[in-house]
Amino acid sequence: MRLELGQVLIKDVQFGDETKIDNGVLYVNKKELIDLIKEDEHLKEVDVDIAKPGESVRITPVKDVIEPRVKVDGQGGVFPGVLSKVDVVGSGKTNVLKGCAVVTTGKIVGFQEGIIDMTGPGAEYTPFSKLNNLVLRCEPVDDLKQHNHEKAVRFAGLKAAAYLAEVAKELNPDNVEVYETLPLLESVQKYPELPKVAYVQMLQSQGLLHDTYVYGVDAKQIVPTILYPTEIMDGAIISGNCVSACDKNTTYHHLNNPVVKDLYAKHGKEINFLGVIITNENVYLADKERSSNWTAKYTEYLGLDGAVISQEGFGNPDTDLIMNCKKIEQKGVKTVIITDEYAGRDGASQSLADADPLADAVVTGGNANEVIELPPMDKVIGHIDVADTIAGGFDGSLKEDGSIIVEIQAITGATNELGYNKMSAQGF
Amino acid sequence: MVKEIERAGLPVVHVCTVVPISLTVGANRIVPAIAIPHPLGNPNLEPEEEKSLRRKLVEKALKALETEVEDQTVFED
Repeated sequence: MRLELGQVLIKDVQFGDETKIDNGVLYVNKKELIDLIKEDEHLKEVDVDIAKPGESVRITPVKDVIEPRVKVDGQGGVFPGVLSKVDVVGSGKTNVLKGCAVVTTGKIVGFQEGIIDMTGPGAEYTPFSKLNNLVLRCEPVDDLKQHNHEKAVRFAGLKAAAYLAEVAKELNPDNVEVYETLPLLESVQKYPELPKVAYVQMLQSQGLLHDTYVYGVDAKQIVPTILYPTEIMDGAIISGNCVSACDKNTTYHHLNNPVVKDLYAKHGKEINFLGVIITNENVYLADKERSSNWTAKYTEYLGLDGAVISQEGFGNPDTDLIMNCKKIEQKGVKTVIITDEYAGRDGASQSLADADPLADAVVTGGNANEVIELPPMDKVIGHIDVADTIAGGFDGSLKEDGSIIVEIQAITGATNELGYNKMSAQGF
Repeated sequence: MVKEIERAGLPVVHVCTVVPISLTVGANRIVPAIAIPHPLGNPNLEPEEEKSLRRKLVEKALKALETEVEDQTVFED
């Protein structure tokens, strides 16, 4: 499966009479976009704002971040099984609006959405402060049940991203990246001397608004399976998550998964990157056992030498992580796990809820309990009063002057477990 | 908490969903629970069925409490 990812570089986003891209500027017809999103009868009020890098703007509570992409050539459309038909995606050509994103906010859905600051110390912790963000503020109709609220905002973000990307369908991209994964046996034959490596991606699927979707299927209902890595780049995996902001994978993270990108960079040189095994993080022990048994079974079946395992979230998923690691290692396959830490504000506590001596190669995205003071911003998009109640916040987090003292847990993407952040640690 | 209470001399049964974590932290008597969001019940059941489920879980825990153990023990059924 071969995908050409064409990057249309977006250096600015502005409102305009017509939605179009001209000379690197994305112009957005605000009314047209709002009308599209308001087609959903679950949303009472929709507004659109723009937040640019360096501006004194705070966006909260952030639910999802989505990168606009459009299928130019090849089977299916982006976000298959959700916005497009369930065709298998990941081949042909896809254009990407690089440098901008859709961010969804509005009345809080759960209690675990995040904060994006466009400037100041908080901006350093989130990759989304570097993008030109089109922010959708979606307010639900009265008495809307939480799961319907979540779904309405999830779809609002995806629809907005698809709407924006549509204007890039006919454009010539500024640069093109090519990714290709051959069918298993061909790939093994092509680089027989290189170690065979796969990526085991764990998807948040604890339920109760902690959900991820694969081709439209709720990930807690899947058994582990295999994807071509390029399928993910076309939106095969999307976030439906209201979990701690620092280490949940937004849809943007999935589309730009750095583990996939880095494994491709080494493919054919240091390793033979065979594909992605996706698995879930369910709340029944039997599910955890079954899923980790199956990921281990696949690593054996594929004849792997090594696997990179990434986690999403923390707490009981630490057990899924350790089960995956242990069982894969017991098949004779080397593992590296990517996680983050909840080691207390002083960093002195145990970092993970579970551990095993076989987990001897660990990459961390940082300690989510570290406390930070976020100075007041001139403008807030969303609802600032959630600062006291979101995960990472506490009673008294929000000060009278608009500054916030929170754990970095509250910042979207701060300790991302795909490594889409700047923090880590090194052991000697 | 399990370890501290045992250190004070009282036997403890840890009723929990994620048995591997309980084993890692060192509980000695472990009774597997239902699921993480609802360890001691199951909202998918009818009230009568759920009551029976809950009673059985408590009875199993009490039985575990009375049972002598040599090593970490998971009371499966």
